[in-house]
Amino acid sequence: MEELTGTAAAAARFDVGSGVAEALLRQVARLLEALARDPGFADVIDLRSLPMHDADRASLRERLGNGEIDASFDLVGKTRITETACAGVWWVRHANSDDCAVLEQIVVARVPALLLAHPADIEGAARRLATELGAPTHRETIHD
Amino acid sequence: MTETMQLGDMLRRRGISRRALLKYASYMASLMALPPSVAGAMAEGLAKARRQAVIWLSFQECTGCTESLTRSFSPSLEELIFDFISLDYHHTLQAASGEAAEAARRQSMRENQSKYLVVVDGSVPTADGGVYSMIAGRTNMDVLAETVEHAAAVIAVGTCASFGGLPEADPNPTGAVPITKLVTGKPVINIPGCPPLPQAMAGTLTHFLSFGTLPELDALHRPRAFFGETIHDRCYRRSFYERGLFAKSFDDDGARQGWCLYELGCKGPVTYNACASLKWNGAVSFPIQSGHGCIGCSEPRFWDRGGLYKPLSAGTADVRKLIGIAAVAGVALGAGAAALARQRRASTSATEQ
Repeated sequence: MEELTGTAAAAARFDVGSGVAEALLRQVARLLEALARDPGFADVIDLRSLPMHDADRASLRERLGNGEIDASFDLVGKTRITETACAGVWWVRHANSDDCAVLEQIVVARVPALLLAHPADIEGAARRLATELGAPTHRETIHD
Repeated sequence: MTETMQLGDMLRRRGISRRALLKYASYMASLMALPPSVAGAMAEGLAKARRQAVIWLSFQECTGCTESLTRSFSPSLEELIFDFISLDYHHTLQAASGEAAEAARRQSMRENQSKYLVVVDGSVPTADGGVYSMIAGRTNMDVLAETVEHAAAVIAVGTCASFGGLPEADPNPTGAVPITKLVTGKPVINIPGCPPLPQAMAGTLTHFLSFGTLPELDALHRPRAFFGETIHDRCYRRSFYERGLFAKSFDDDGARQGWCLYELGCKGPVTYNACASLKWNGAVSFPIQSGHGCIGCSEPRFWDRGGLYKPLSAGTADVRKLIGIAAVAGVALGAGAAALARQRRASTSATEQ
């Protein structure tokens, strides 16, 4: 682990690290059990409001590990959705334009809602594609 | 102006998908301490809403509240709020000026009667008939009364509009008052702060848009989502406070190690705001992290509470209200009481003259 600086180092020296990472891991384990029993289950743990040092967060991330999927999309800042080494546990990180995390969540679900295409978007795309295909530049038949 | 298209359709035309709206809603739900499961409902609510007409009135203000929300250095998710609202009147941001601007305000009021939101920054002077702040030949009091009459709700942003702020500070020569003193019969939300957090402003507007209701408020009309906890409650230096490790002066050894700033005047324990968790300038830092104590800028009369660098235990008596000293951990108050008595005599003799 990289060397801690400033307040984090001071905190470590005075042994003020919290057991938050450990407690969160247990919560994730409980949720994962629920998901294993019911594939339709989904829950989200918001990490923003929890009193975690950066070291805590890093340790939690390390223990969860990396899985197979790494997805990202951009809307005024990058959102990164990575599957952890535990199937069904995802790490979602929204960053602003300066790549500072503005939202960090652990999602326990078959797939996070953000990865799903929205029905309204699908409808719009279907219409667009139909319109595009319905206006050919020349007549096409099997005899061409 | 009236907008008949739903937000969801309007945003898709601008290349913002429903997925993107869900990201925005997740962010807002998290900010407002709503359960993450609410994000879906919030996104649906936003998609079905129509652009909200907003009239922004600026009175005795410094424009810091607008600066906080609009951020000039990089785009932010908070600024998306400007896609969701129709900002029909705003001194700094609108293109029109003069009579055309006033006409735009009146037109919005007419077309959106009982549906538009009024956002106010700055306090309103009431002394001498309110002549100390006039716009377009009319007093602030006049314009406020006229504009809120058919509004859906009023949002007072910044400490000036919420509690009087700097204009209202001792000796308050213009008779400045907060918006709640002048508006009756309409719901008023206060979003204090000098300036307020942009998330607080954008989050409250988003809540209203998606759910059609105002968020839960505390006794001072502040949204609990942002003002439900003190800075002290979420301060990352709290562990040093608990262990009695305090910086004694700026940049001393303790300060360099990030110890608690209580003795350097930090008002974190008595200040309700979300700076310690949301931070400023894109979550980069906040006063305490930069080594300066909280000045309590989202609380009423913070300018007159005994000084920015005096610790809370030394007393934060508001000389005009003459209330008791906030004693913390049973610190002896002999010197503080004597000082207060001196201030009382000085204040009384001043008013008698």
